[in-house]
Amino acid sequence: MTLQKVQFVENTTDIIRQCPGTKHHICCGYQTIDLIEGCVLSCSYCILKAYLKSDAIKVSYDPEATTRELDRRIDAPTEHVLRFGTGELSDSLALDRRLKLNHFLVDYFGEKKKAILELKSKWADFRHLIPRLNPYTVISFSVSPQRFIDSEEKRTSPIRKRLKAARLAQDNGCFVGLHFDPVVIYDGFERDYRYLIEDIGRMLDPEKIIWISLGLLRFPAALHGQLIENKRKYLLTGEFIRGEDGKFRYIKPERIRIYKLLYKLLKKIDSRLFIYLCMERADIWKEVFGITLEDNEGLIRLFDKRIKNLYGGML
Amino acid sequence: MTQVPLSRIDLTDESFKLSYGRDNGRLRSSIRAAGIIEPVVLLDRKPYIPVVGLRRLDCARSLRMRSIPAIIVDVPEKEALLRAIHANIERGYNTIEKANILAKTNNLGFSRTDILAFMTELDLDPHEKVLDIFLALAGLAPLYKDFIFRNSMSLRNIGSFLRFDTGERKRIVRSLAGLHLTESIVRETFEMLQIIKIRKGKLTGKDIPAFPNTETLRAHLKKRTYPILTSLTRKLKAIRDKMATPPGIDIRVDPFFEKEYIDLVLRIKDNDDIRTALAKISGLADAGYLGSILDLTKGTIR
Repeated sequence: MTLQKVQFVENTTDIIRQCPGTKHHICCGYQTIDLIEGCVLSCSYCILKAYLKSDAIKVSYDPEATTRELDRRIDAPTEHVLRFGTGELSDSLALDRRLKLNHFLVDYFGEKKKAILELKSKWADFRHLIPRLNPYTVISFSVSPQRFIDSEEKRTSPIRKRLKAARLAQDNGCFVGLHFDPVVIYDGFERDYRYLIEDIGRMLDPEKIIWISLGLLRFPAALHGQLIENKRKYLLTGEFIRGEDGKFRYIKPERIRIYKLLYKLLKKIDSRLFIYLCMERADIWKEVFGITLEDNEGLIRLFDKRIKNLYGGML
Repeated sequence: MTQVPLSRIDLTDESFKLSYGRDNGRLRSSIRAAGIIEPVVLLDRKPYIPVVGLRRLDCARSLRMRSIPAIIVDVPEKEALLRAIHANIERGYNTIEKANILAKTNNLGFSRTDILAFMTELDLDPHEKVLDIFLALAGLAPLYKDFIFRNSMSLRNIGSFLRFDTGERKRIVRSLAGLHLTESIVRETFEMLQIIKIRKGKLTGKDIPAFPNTETLRAHLKKRTYPILTSLTRKLKAIRDKMATPPGIDIRVDPFFEKEYIDLVLRIKDNDDIRTALAKISGLADAGYLGSILDLTKGTIR
């Protein structure tokens, strides 16, 4: 992998933020720790291309301030189990072997034992973290069919490596998360996803999969023109509309059809898997899962329940 | 200044021709009435090469004038081109003329820095990407230049047009000939055609046949690009046609069928209007029309 120039910068904004979510869509209430802004993986559909003004990778590394802010948030009275992640404005692991930014976070959450840290990645190497891993760190991977990865995620790890890494995390006592995000419609995608889910069933221990998210491709309007200009066939095969939040997403009947298909395939692995939709409308939740969610709070409660089931009194 | 016979000027030389799409009619009438007041500029070669005033020369020829007032200059070609550009910079240049200017400066070996500086003088963003579009535009066949000029296309739409190959461009120009195209229709049309092309690999005649008007053009392309949305819209129209919404009641449905609800807007003047409208809405609900519309928004119908 070619390493881009990394700049260490002084943090000028809040490093920890509530996931911004998106209007009229249900958000899981995850909180982001933005130590890095920018990504070396350069996926063709990456919304960071539209959001971030510069190609440079900016690192705000201030463990003391970060843990102070984490303490403030985690120690404040709340009914919920807080979940934090570093994969919002960058990939959590792609640069970590070199920069080792996650060390203090993994240690912090292991000692705190009151909240969960999720490291989300398309980069399958976290071996440098193994000696420090603890149950309060969830190692998560975005999963897509290899055909799609070859075309649109060229600098990321192959899917088999990601799944092997997920298995390694499970074998080291961690829960893992899987993110089917973005799910993309292209010729033959249904078959590819079926094979992918069969591989997941074969390679991973379903009891140690803490959650699985499903999110169909969506992106800000600014990216649509770029996708056309760059002739991204895989990304433009499906039928897009402008959602209520102004973002491009697949038309509703397609979203429902695909969510139902993936849900059914995943539940075949293990009916107890916890599957949620990332940034979807309440009526889609109802149609796909038969669950009525009024707002974000409803989904956050589902997460609380899931975590309490898995961790018992440990959290 | 001197009087130069037309026979000593190479009237076919377009090395410094920048103008495009300008009507010479009024200029010709003026020259016929008052003669050529402003001398043309000629490069001192054998025969002379026109630098500034090519339209005046054209009029003089068509008016069968024998000679024309001229200033003869003996300067390098680069300098001659600069004179040609600056002669009309106050008047301003249209898009094709700007492309001609940039192509000529590029061909004469002006540095990139100089060319980007010209772009600023021409009110263009001095970016390589913009320059590439203009250079490609200058190289287009007259048929396409004329299409772009007639439709006063924006830079964005020109960039989109250039992404089609020659055969596709020919089809597009043929198909859209005679239609009244606004900037937004062109943008939407090109976007849909590009999506079809990306999906299929190539545009064929079926993708873009001839259209009698822009409504049929849009409908045709939407059906190919957004088949589910088109089908839902057709179904909604069929329900609306059947239910014949009474005046004063407007049923608003999200154009993308994303919102799972519809808005009913009533125009009311008094209590009687309220009672009448509610009775009508109730009738529409009882007849199943409102339910059918709501079904379209649930995402279970295509």
